[in-house]
Amino acid sequence: MNPYLVVLTAGVASYACRLSLVALGHRTGTPALLERVAPFVVPVTFAAVAAGGVVAGTGSAALVAARSVAVAVAVVAVRRTGRSHAAVAAGMPALWALDALIFRT
Amino acid sequence: MAPWLAGMGLYALVVGVSGATSGVPGPAAWLTGPTIYSGGAQVAAVDLIGSGAAPAVVVASVLAINARLIVYSGAMARHWAGRPRWWRALAAYLLVDPSFAVGLDRYGRAADGARDGGGDRAGDRDAAHAHYLGGAVALWLVWLCALAAGATLGPRLPAGLHLEFVIPLFLTGEVVRRAATPASVLGAAAAAVVAVAGLAVPLRLGLLVSIAAGLAVALTASREER
Repeated sequence: MNPYLVVLTAGVASYACRLSLVALGHRTGTPALLERVAPFVVPVTFAAVAAGGVVAGTGSAALVAARSVAVAVAVVAVRRTGRSHAAVAAGMPALWALDALIFRT
Repeated sequence: MAPWLAGMGLYALVVGVSGATSGVPGPAAWLTGPTIYSGGAQVAAVDLIGSGAAPAVVVASVLAINARLIVYSGAMARHWAGRPRWWRALAAYLLVDPSFAVGLDRYGRAADGARDGGGDRAGDRDAAHAHYLGGAVALWLVWLCALAAGATLGPRLPAGLHLEFVIPLFLTGEVVRRAATPASVLGAAAAAVVAVAGLAVPLRLGLLVSIAAGLAVALTASREER
């Protein structure tokens, strides 16, 4: 399928989420199951996508290991700072350092 | 408002760079901004399209991530009741985490003022509507401009920088920040394990299974916590 069509379809679905209860009016409350699931949806979905991204398309166990260490560094950085952007700020330099150490020595 | 604008700008820059290095056509990656308009969902969509996932997997993943917007929609519905239809349609389009936070805070202050008997209630509510819409438009403009800047910058950067890894790292950061309870940590861990195990499944359909498994684990764990 054309990537533009996929993006547009995902965009329409996203807008439907935003408009849903606003269009129905304030008489309709949020569905109970959604209320229960809502706090978990984002961490669970992001974890699934991120885990696939660490392993997929690497073609080498050494690169998977380097990426895993970079993820561990990112987790520690976010825990210490409380800011999600610290994951990229700390994880990328860690990956570059390991990359230089493993593949360029 | 200013911290939100700065944070959104930086975030969009990273999303723009990652989109440009994902293998998805540049305009299609940028188009996720005005259509999906939610950083995490955009990142996931671009990553999944770039890795050849089935369209249904891409749309279902975006829906799963953006399902929280239904909760936001429910919270804003009572504040926007009585506004013209076009206004609600526009306000809903601009509804995203920072605009929700900024808007809810202002509506809360308007309600507090009315309860304390101070000022013109209708006037304050109108000011809150203007505050929400003005702030949300500013956030939207910053988002799209920074996204374009990141997309322009991305292809000029060397491949050895491994910029494709910005997406998993960014998502990891969001998981660590958002997984605040043992149930959500367990759910995220279960989803990650199943996602890696399911990588061999064609069209990345394993991703949907991993999300379902993670949610089931999180819900079960949250019941046991109570």
